[in-house]
Amino acid sequence: MTAVGGFVDISELVFAAQAGSAFGYALIWVFAFATIGIMVFGEMSGRVAAIAKQPVFNLMRHRLGLKLGLVTLLASLLSNLITCAAEIGGMAIILHLLTGVGTMPLAIASVAVLIATIWVLPFKWIERTYGLLGLCMIVFAVALVKMRPPWADIAAGLVPQVPSNLSPKELVTFAYFTVAIISAVMFPYEAYFYSSGAIEERWGAKDLTINRLTCVVGFALGSLLAISILASSAQLFGPANIDPQLPGSAALQAAIPLGRPGLLLALLGMLFAIAGAAVETCLANAYSAAQFFGWQWGRHRKPWDAPRFTVAWIGLMLLALAIVMTGIEPLKLVEYAILSSILVLPLTYLPLLLLARDRHFMRAHRNGVLANILGWGFFVVILIAAIMAAPLFILTSGGQL
Amino acid sequence: MTSPTRINLIGGLLDLPLVDKNGAYCGVVDDIELSDEVDQPPTVRHLLVGPGAYRGRLPAWILPLVRAVAGTRVTRVPWEAIDRVDSCVTLTDTADALGLHLSENRVRAVIPRRGAW
Repeated sequence: MTAVGGFVDISELVFAAQAGSAFGYALIWVFAFATIGIMVFGEMSGRVAAIAKQPVFNLMRHRLGLKLGLVTLLASLLSNLITCAAEIGGMAIILHLLTGVGTMPLAIASVAVLIATIWVLPFKWIERTYGLLGLCMIVFAVALVKMRPPWADIAAGLVPQVPSNLSPKELVTFAYFTVAIISAVMFPYEAYFYSSGAIEERWGAKDLTINRLTCVVGFALGSLLAISILASSAQLFGPANIDPQLPGSAALQAAIPLGRPGLLLALLGMLFAIAGAAVETCLANAYSAAQFFGWQWGRHRKPWDAPRFTVAWIGLMLLALAIVMTGIEPLKLVEYAILSSILVLPLTYLPLLLLARDRHFMRAHRNGVLANILGWGFFVVILIAAIMAAPLFILTSGGQL
Repeated sequence: MTSPTRINLIGGLLDLPLVDKNGAYCGVVDDIELSDEVDQPPTVRHLLVGPGAYRGRLPAWILPLVRAVAGTRVTRVPWEAIDRVDSCVTLTDTADALGLHLSENRVRAVIPRRGAW
């Protein structure tokens, strides 16, 4: 359940709503495809943690060596930091919609609450609190059902396609959205956080079934929420030519069919889902640094029992706040986060693939034929997406139609 | 000549996390110190831990930055202090006894010990 509530973050919110408005149901298949990708790599990262008893970044340096490992660390730190800043900016916007107070004081208050939560609560309660409260986003699925959408058209969106009636400019934008959705669904911090969480909860071989269930069922249901946002945006915003750029716009998709309760549930669900993603990105960064340098780490320990890890996550959260306080628009931060993440993805998932098939570390639980085929297949896809990301970003000015 | 087994041993040790006898993380194998006795096959003397051991493993242009950010400390862990090697290097003693938690202890001193559940 926490995997469902924690699946959607600000990038998915923004890109799902924009994709639905701009291209109808034609990008649903990209969400479904990328969700299979994160299932494959999420399952591998949980399995490596459960069997090798080490999280991904601990063994990544051993696999890549110090030089390439350091490049991966710095790139993922930067990417996750921008993503964390985008999440904090998104929280401030949603709180502004709920209270009317200015976004800057709300960004500061949000960070204070996030830091207090991570300090006070142990890992499993941090995960449960934000994950379960994020389930308020189910209201988007309810709103979609209430709209009586054309289900056959939505189902047809699951088939890989490129709309035939697009102009060359729209075709480039469609390609940019395809790459951006893959990046948003397969964010590198998810693998770092998931594998570190498995160590925090002391997973072993007996937890491999839970790992598989969490990745397949949890991520699939989480992806359905994102697809609901896309489909209801296609219903409401597409025909009216509205480009829902702000994270708050998505809340209207629940407000129109369900009224005030729908609006409130949508805003609260988005707030907690985005807050959960801010916690995950911040902790993922601190996990990565601590694991790369061999520090004590984890929130199953008291903050003073993992001192450098504690200083790292507090420092990174404040640094993300400083980025927000410069006044950069959250939407710009989302675009930069998407771009930087897709560039880091191959460096993140290559060592994971190598580790998951390593006989020495994984013994009987190393990748089977299916996991290897899916893993290498998706690796090629993210490699192509990473190569295409920067040119598409420049050509479309960050996805502008 | 060094046998392939010995080469694999060094490659298998480098960049593995170190865990003390209580399960506490206490650094990473940053480099390895071999014996250099004449007419004797080289043997592993110490595991080198700390940013001072990055010399020779990182490009020269980045070393001044590493020195400025992380310092030049190197701790030598004797080969005899290794209990076993698998997905990490497990030590026979505590991190404090081997001098591997100096930085952790320095930072721990400034962190308030209250409020966490």
